[in-house]
Amino acid sequence: MESNEREPAEASVPAGPPVDPPANPPSEPPTGQPAVQPAAAAAVPAARTPADPPVGPPADPGRPPRAPGIAGLSAPYRVLAALALAAVGLAACGHLALVFLHVAPSNTVSKQHARTVDDWIYPEFEQNWKLFAPNPLQQNIAVQARAEVRPALGGEPVTVGWRDLSAEDGAAIRHGLLPSHTRQNELRRAWDFFTGSHDEDNKPIGERGELSEQYLRRIALARLGRDAAGGRGEIVRIQLRSTTRAVPAPPWSEEKTDTQTYYRELPWWTV
Amino acid sequence: MVDGVRRAPAAGRALARARAAAGRAVARVSGRALGPYQSAVVRIGFSATWLFFLLREFPHRAELYGPDGPWSFALAERLIASNHAFSVLMWSDSGLWFETVYALSVASALLLMLGWRTRASSAVFMVGVLSLQNRSVFMGDGGDNVIHLMAIYLVLTRCAQVWSLDARRARLRGSASAGAAGPVLWGVLGAVFAYGAVTDRFGYGWLAAFAALWVVCAVWWMADRYEPEGEGRAALDVLANLVHNAGLLVIMAEVCLIYATAGWYKIQGSRWQDGTALYYPLGLDYFTPWPGLSGVLAGSGTMVMLLSYGTVAVQVAFPFTVFNRRIKNVLLALMMLEHAGIAVLLGLPFFSMAMIAADAVFLPTPFLLWLGARAAGGVRRVRGVLPPAKAGPVRPVRSAV
Repeated sequence: MESNEREPAEASVPAGPPVDPPANPPSEPPTGQPAVQPAAAAAVPAARTPADPPVGPPADPGRPPRAPGIAGLSAPYRVLAALALAAVGLAACGHLALVFLHVAPSNTVSKQHARTVDDWIYPEFEQNWKLFAPNPLQQNIAVQARAEVRPALGGEPVTVGWRDLSAEDGAAIRHGLLPSHTRQNELRRAWDFFTGSHDEDNKPIGERGELSEQYLRRIALARLGRDAAGGRGEIVRIQLRSTTRAVPAPPWSEEKTDTQTYYRELPWWTV
Repeated sequence: MVDGVRRAPAAGRALARARAAAGRAVARVSGRALGPYQSAVVRIGFSATWLFFLLREFPHRAELYGPDGPWSFALAERLIASNHAFSVLMWSDSGLWFETVYALSVASALLLMLGWRTRASSAVFMVGVLSLQNRSVFMGDGGDNVIHLMAIYLVLTRCAQVWSLDARRARLRGSASAGAAGPVLWGVLGAVFAYGAVTDRFGYGWLAAFAALWVVCAVWWMADRYEPEGEGRAALDVLANLVHNAGLLVIMAEVCLIYATAGWYKIQGSRWQDGTALYYPLGLDYFTPWPGLSGVLAGSGTMVMLLSYGTVAVQVAFPFTVFNRRIKNVLLALMMLEHAGIAVLLGLPFFSMAMIAADAVFLPTPFLLWLGARAAGGVRRVRGVLPPAKAGPVRPVRSAV
């Protein structure tokens, strides 16, 4: 039964050495029709533009057109093409395997080959697709800043009250179709960068900690300096804090969520 | 005994069949750059996304990537010293250089979208994308990440076989490399590359990649000009097809990996399990440009549950459906719709556009042909006076690099 089904399929392969070249030309329409789903693709243009004949390659009438692909090449070139095929195939599969190990959870194989994977992936193929996963963020984290300003007219420095920089971002995002990265990502990701590279006591971990601190400081200064302190004097010190408030549980659920605001205050930074 | 006799020819047949199939596969991947319409739509989609992004952020360009932005040149220098990311913006901290790179990135996105001297445009496009993004990594999101990867992969593909100025030139003048612009572009880019190489600004990997691209383009042009029917030209064609097909495979696999990762990690989350996950982003200040709309959706527990489960189901299932055309197309439509919804609801238009462009690699050819005909019809209607041009599918042009 099984062999009966397969017999005709095999018979349709041209006789002779069962290698690629002879099998090639019949499967290759000279019109160069689009490759994917050739039958369907051919049907549509025929239905749409009956007057438009398929345009063939501008071949010499005297010489038969060269078969496309490896089949159309002489032996030395064929060897080269075969080598290229092997190299390209290996490269593509190797790349995909390494990307897979990079995006997959840490596992036996990826731990064994951590060096190889990282060497290949970083910096240009780095990726993270845990989009809202495993759980979406369930709290609003806002970054606020205040400054100590030395009045332009002289006198003791005064502390200017907390300004909610994230709320300003939110207001800028609201009712727009095209939020800017400067509003949606800049401060939000800078804060993530900071908390990811600092310990509980706001002590920097390594060089990234230091970089994130300077980055955050520059963002805050640019925003405070933009207007608040602009006319009133010179900023001497700034302080940042974050407020974290959980998104309340859905109205239809019986869950109780603590929606109190929690603060994390950073030390004063002298400018 | 009887078994043995029967097994031998069966094994021989199986072997012959396998060899024949392998032969057909080799002929296929070496003879043609597969998916001409799919690669073209990916090219147009990603270059348009990046172009619109750069134009939208034009007023904020200095804050995002400029030498005096919050992520200052000095900070970027320190980070790049440790991660060795590629960015021509690090060549100089002058404002003029930054403006030049930004302008060139805009121009290359436009040219890639139009498919003008596409191999060169795509290389410059990649350099622009990588340079700007790597200059300020903390400004980006998932959308930038997809564009980053696809910008690299697109250089490998023959993505201008249709719907491009290159294809048009090939149709009208017999070869995509006709005209003086190609050699001029090659010379200018070569000079910039040589400057970078001499002043030791490339890592070994980039040095090798750019050098190879530059040399192959020269060889290609010469073969195209002096020996268009020769064997060297045919061999280059085979090489380009192989690289294109591998690139397209990588693009498709990358899309599958994105969805698989996004879906499989979600399955592990308690909020995705209890069907409330979607509710939470709708309550985040950074992702609610339309609070009223978000509130309405968040108010319906059933809708939130269905959409949360639906998202996970579609994402997990998608990689397995690519082998079944009908189911794949249904899921594809669902995913594109969902991304269109995300664009508005969560205020992530460029992320969504990038994801839709990536999804488009799986669109069926008949649909793309229909889309192309509609677009051509629209262009004609806009022009009005011109006689009707050929509305049919454009033949993929072999000589496009």
